[in-house]
Amino acid sequence: MSRRDFSERDIHMALDGELPGDERAAYDAWLEANPEMKAKSARYIADRAALRAAFAGVLDEPVPARLRKVVLGEAPARTPASGSRWWLAAAAAAVLAVGGLGGYFAGIGGVGREDEAEDQLAEQAIAAHVVYAAEQRHAVEVPAADKDHLQTWLTNRVGLKLVAPDLTAEGFQLVGGRLLPAGQGKAAMLLYEDAKGERVSLFVTAESAEKAKGTYAAEADGPEAVYWLDKGYGCAVVGSLPRERLAAVAKSAYGQLLAGLNS
Amino acid sequence: MDEKKAAILGEIPRLRRYARSLLRDRDSADDLVQDCLERALGRLENWQTGESPRRWLFTIMHHLFIDQMRKVNRRGEAAMLPLEASEAQSAPAEQVESIASREIIDALQAISPDRRAALVMVAIEGFSYAEAANILGVPAGTLMSRIARGREELRALLDDTVRRRSIRIVER
Repeated sequence: MSRRDFSERDIHMALDGELPGDERAAYDAWLEANPEMKAKSARYIADRAALRAAFAGVLDEPVPARLRKVVLGEAPARTPASGSRWWLAAAAAAVLAVGGLGGYFAGIGGVGREDEAEDQLAEQAIAAHVVYAAEQRHAVEVPAADKDHLQTWLTNRVGLKLVAPDLTAEGFQLVGGRLLPAGQGKAAMLLYEDAKGERVSLFVTAESAEKAKGTYAAEADGPEAVYWLDKGYGCAVVGSLPRERLAAVAKSAYGQLLAGLNS
Repeated sequence: MDEKKAAILGEIPRLRRYARSLLRDRDSADDLVQDCLERALGRLENWQTGESPRRWLFTIMHHLFIDQMRKVNRRGEAAMLPLEASEAQSAPAEQVESIASREIIDALQAISPDRRAALVMVAIEGFSYAEAANILGVPAGTLMSRIARGREELRALLDDTVRRRSIRIVER
């Protein structure tokens, strides 16, 4: 038997039945001698069993009549417009691949619908963030020192009772705010900064007719928006923070904004 | 019924399983299978009788899937992300899944489509490396690295899910 050094790559090969039979004994001995690799192998074996179990039921499902009809030549021809929409699910999967947040995902059902309004809000919020968060001296029109004036001014302009959330617990201080166009109306942008100079912005408009929430990133490595729309207002928190931190900031901001709106 | 069509019908359950692992959503997965079957029926002459249609059909479906994923990636799409874990849990399940199955299916959806396809092809569908590389149209080395990365990512996501769940319990 030829001796050779094994590596993690061999764990995959062994698992997938691709390890030559005459190397198996030496591989098993190597695994025994390397507890870390043995544990890894055990986890992958368990994951494969879980994967197989998760999809095993599909084979027992009756074949949908529409698929049978395609093969038997009984299916009516489909026009491209009425044709398949499976790529919507693929779109959702693509976002997950970028975000890596499978565990938080509520399922693909909610993604297929038209979601232009929230896309628009998120895109405007991200655009504003990209432009103004990069500005050192002219990031805001009204600085945090005039917070009361800032809140009154934006409240009057946007038409929503705006209270600048206190994000100190998340490590962010208010820098100030500005007024921006948004669709047919106006939006308030509030800018925050942490001790390292990392910035997040809040974008609030009074324009919204639907209820929705989600995250949006125009580019895989660009800033991300966490947004909510409800009847009468839309809000997005934008930043380039690690996703969980952005979610924490967004959650805190949302709670305080909502409390302010209803006060 | 003609022999070719009977053989294709026999492959539908496996095509549906592969599509489901790629897309998760049942109707979307069946739409993908339907597109695949329509294309296959239009090119029946490309398949030699006497040979299993399995590899031929998987190749067609994989190309449909990957082409579309590329278009989607270029466009950039938004996904819904509930802020509260409890909302994610109350989302209607499209099928009865155990928590373990749901977690691994979610994790599988979160890895890149190329890695997902490679991993599923070998780990669930049972193709050899040579067969899978052939179907996916990549060199064996590329296939191997996709499988290895896919497994690592899947495991990391599952570990992360467990960690997050325990954080949630602490928060309550």
